[in-house]
Amino acid sequence: MQVVNERELVERCRLGDERAFEELVDRFKDLVFGLIARTVQDRSRAEDLAQDVFLRIHRGLPYFRGEARLSTWIYRIVANVCAQDQAPREAMVSLDDDRMSGRSMPSVSDRRFSDLELRDRLEKAIVRLPANYRLLIAAHYLDGARYEELAEALQLPLGTVKTQLYRAKQQLRRMLETELK
Amino acid sequence: MLCTEVLDALEPIAAGELTPDDRIAAHLASCPHCAAALEDARRLEQILQARPMPRAPAQFTSRTMARVRRARWRTEQFLDLGFNVTLGLVLLAILGSVWLVLHRSGLVAVSNDAVALLGTGLVTLARRVAPTVPLYAGATALLVTALGIWWWAERELT
Ligand SMILES: [Zn+2]
Repeated sequence: MQVVNERELVERCRLGDERAFEELVDRFKDLVFGLIARTVQDRSRAEDLAQDVFLRIHRGLPYFRGEARLSTWIYRIVANVCAQDQAPREAMVSLDDDRMSGRSMPSVSDRRFSDLELRDRLEKAIVRLPANYRLLIAAHYLDGARYEELAEALQLPLGTVKTQLYRAKQQLRRMLETELK
Repeated sequence: MLCTEVLDALEPIAAGELTPDDRIAAHLASCPHCAAALEDARRLEQILQARPMPRAPAQFTSRTMARVRRARWRTEQFLDLGFNVTLGLVLLAILGSVWLVLHRSGLVAVSNDAVALLGTGLVTLARRVAPTVPLYAGATALLVTALGIWWWAERELT
């Protein structure tokens, strides 16, 4: 994304240009929706939250001074919206407990899961991660966000971001132990 | 070298962010458990990278803009209400202070006795009005403040 255009767009939005804001939504909708849809499984809920993010952007633009990149600021808003959303929902996550807890271990011949099944298992495992890990995984593998950018957006030290990502993946690896073989 | 040490290093290795040193490499070569775990980590890295990117629904932008407009309209209504209430209070305060000035200075009586006063001369009027000058000043200041607020609010809203 060209920085000059971004600044110009923000400036127009600040002056109350509705078309400019529409363009901003168009430009960032896949990033915002993608991030949220990867942490919240329900699509319509994800859309609601993504819209919330843009409402906050709209309200916050007059105060956005442009020291950070627009996308970094947007990441931060997504993180806040997700954090506020996850608390009451944590208990509602539906799980495929049989498989996940290993109560019924798949037989050796079942162990070769197709990619599709594996992906499905992955999504279910990700839902079981703590919300901050979920968002980190979503952001890191989306749009190739650099560690530095994630650290800035989440206001965490660089080392913490790396460690948390490794831990998240370690947890996933353990949850998917049988399926990954 | 302990398995736990190696297992902790698997994620960075699988992500290509850490090259295993000699000790780790030696352990991986001799420990089938850790070697298998590294394979898992690599496979996980692959599927995470290939994870499909959810795209925003077709009508997302228009639906979002509708919400933005609704929110803006509500804010404007709220500001309008707040502005009108403030203005009403300020006007009430002005009327109150004007009434107070008239009441305390006895100017209500003055207007009644205007004809008579003209007869007794301007000196008497000045003598009666002089003590109430601070009150007039107060009322004027209040009026100026109110007009100032009005001007500022109009400028902010437009
Ligand atoms: Zn080992």
